[in-house]
Amino acid sequence: MSDERRREPPGELRGDAYRDPGLVAALAGRVRAAASELGRPLKLMHICGTHEHALGRYALRDLLPPELSLLAGPGCPVCVCDSALIDAAVRLALRPGVVVASFGDMLAVPGSLPLRGEGKGDVRMSLESARAQGGEVRAVTSVFEAGRLAAETPESEVVFFSVGFETTVVATAALLRRDPPPNLSILEANYYTPPATAMLPSLPGFDVDGLLLPGHATAVTGTGVYDGLPALGISCAVAGFEPADILAAVSAVLRQLLEGRPRIDNAYPRVVSRQGNPRALAELAEVFEATPRRWRGIADIDASGFDLRPAYRQRSARARFPDAFTAEGASAREHPAGCRCAEVTLGQVTPDACALFGGRCTPDNPYGPCMVSHEGTCRAWQQYGMARGRIAVRTA
Amino acid sequence: MSHYETIRLSHGSGGRLTAELVRDVFLAAFASEPLAALTDAAILESPGGRLAFTTDAHSVTPWRFPGGDIGRLAVAGTVNDLAVMGARPRYLSAAFLLEEGFRLDDLAEVAGSMRRTADEAGVAIVAGDTKVVERGKGDGIYIATAGVGWLPEGRDIGPHRLTAGDVLLVNGTLGDHGMAVMAARQGLDPSGSLRSDVMPLASLVEALLRAAPGTRFLRDLTRGGLAAVANEMVAGRPLGLRVFDARVPLSADVMEIGEMLGIDPLLTANEGKLLAAVPAEEADAALAALRAHPAGRRAAVIGDLLVEPAGLALVETAYGSRRVLEMPVEEQLPRIC
Repeated sequence: MSDERRREPPGELRGDAYRDPGLVAALAGRVRAAASELGRPLKLMHICGTHEHALGRYALRDLLPPELSLLAGPGCPVCVCDSALIDAAVRLALRPGVVVASFGDMLAVPGSLPLRGEGKGDVRMSLESARAQGGEVRAVTSVFEAGRLAAETPESEVVFFSVGFETTVVATAALLRRDPPPNLSILEANYYTPPATAMLPSLPGFDVDGLLLPGHATAVTGTGVYDGLPALGISCAVAGFEPADILAAVSAVLRQLLEGRPRIDNAYPRVVSRQGNPRALAELAEVFEATPRRWRGIADIDASGFDLRPAYRQRSARARFPDAFTAEGASAREHPAGCRCAEVTLGQVTPDACALFGGRCTPDNPYGPCMVSHEGTCRAWQQYGMARGRIAVRTA
Repeated sequence: MSHYETIRLSHGSGGRLTAELVRDVFLAAFASEPLAALTDAAILESPGGRLAFTTDAHSVTPWRFPGGDIGRLAVAGTVNDLAVMGARPRYLSAAFLLEEGFRLDDLAEVAGSMRRTADEAGVAIVAGDTKVVERGKGDGIYIATAGVGWLPEGRDIGPHRLTAGDVLLVNGTLGDHGMAVMAARQGLDPSGSLRSDVMPLASLVEALLRAAPGTRFLRDLTRGGLAAVANEMVAGRPLGLRVFDARVPLSADVMEIGEMLGIDPLLTANEGKLLAAVPAEEADAALAALRAHPAGRRAAVIGDLLVEPAGLALVETAYGSRRVLEMPVEEQLPRIC
């Protein structure tokens, strides 16, 4: 759960009511009826790692009709984080007097620098391997914890590796506005999803009928930032993260398909609004500006990242340690050999299409970023056994 | 051999890497028949009958946590490893690894807590040792324990007796210990009511075995939680295991913190909870006996053993859909999005 978790207003259903089996069964029935009325194969895509987890945890694909597939798109910030930024973080961690702090998920993701001495194929340096080599690396649960770390260790330079989507960048902006310790800097690695989402329809072979938009990110930005999608003929609904939320959003998209009128339905109105969170957006705009960003293995996407504005640039790790940001020693290949993470991230293949999935690449020995990160599609598929499809049982 | 060349934190998480470490390093070096069973306690023949023998090491940060401390944890953990073998715990030893600078009054507090927990469990602490390491080379206090219990004649509890159709019960809410410690570390506990469940279970087990003498299998749900034990039960056996998600008792606080941090209570450590597999015809009696005991008030039937899919542990949701309950692989980390 992220920053905008909140209590439901009085009179609304409580969180667990959105798990109510009767409600879920009714919504699943509505989805089946609409799919049957449409009478053709249907492809929907979500773009949020937390949605894929909910699909796995509640085995919600079991409840969908067979002609409807719900794919996972680019919803894992750690998976798309430019390997060059990971390399910079690794170099900084190995530098005496520098501590690199980031989310636990980020620490195990390999960049492109070869890990020497392992001799087991295309194995690369992560922040964890930097730590094993004596680098100072800390797992934190928020930028505020990194700020506290900086206050407690004034003799060190603390670099917060600020990975995440528009949800986590808001927290980074909030801290920087509150004058954190001078020895704290930010490695700018936040990604902005709408430009990447807008790019999806231009990809060869894209045949998705509708998108489930990410509830947390949209709570910050508002739904307006996705207005271009219906114009391209793509039906959209904002989805929350409980089983009923997700099925309600699927049902809303199917209704649009039946009516032949693509639009953006808000199926998460208890959290998401059209205009977003004005205070968060104002703080964000004061501290950060849009910048082109490399999506690992995918493309350079215009205005898909956040860089510090000039007034805050003295907080930029890139400005403070420019020599850590070189391409020296990096592999030309962004993902390790054989890894299909880029295609998985775009929803072009499911994880089980990758020859490495579940064999060479497992959560305890991950090979590509989509298996390392808890937000990654491969990780969720492995964790919940989603490659098995519907699991039959026989009792005694 | 493992993929790793150095010890990682995940090697201590009770998941797959722990299992690999035990198999590849310790079983390889120590091979003996009682150890090879890999049960919570070794069963040893002695001239006067059978003994159950176990050992355990304890490190927890913070050492004092909501609902308990490392001393209570050390005693209860050792007692429970004996009890789930069907043994009556009797004697414990305790070795203390102390860091220079650890406060003596804190140590006295830990020792007092151990004594109270031992009295509660009906065991005596009869041997001990102390070592002190230099400041910076320990985490305040570590405790290593060993325990011995008598195994009554005719008791045979273990995974070899598991049978398709068996009913699975737990003695209360899951995830309390792990979530309380994690919340204490993160400074998160919205209502301030999260408590570790750390508790000796010897008398609960005796009550259960009186009511359900056909009990086939017991295991305390420590590191790796229900998920680790469920997977160990079916690995390599012609059995499947099904947990009904909606029947697993969870406290509201554990659910809330778990969702906030992205941490699954089914994979979270308990220190006063066990899983029992009993023949279907004894399930009602077993449930009643557990609920009649103070350590089992919120006991519940949570699942069953299946013919198929063999070797797999499943969760069946309230919607009838099914997913794999995977063996935990590492320390759980809070998610970021």
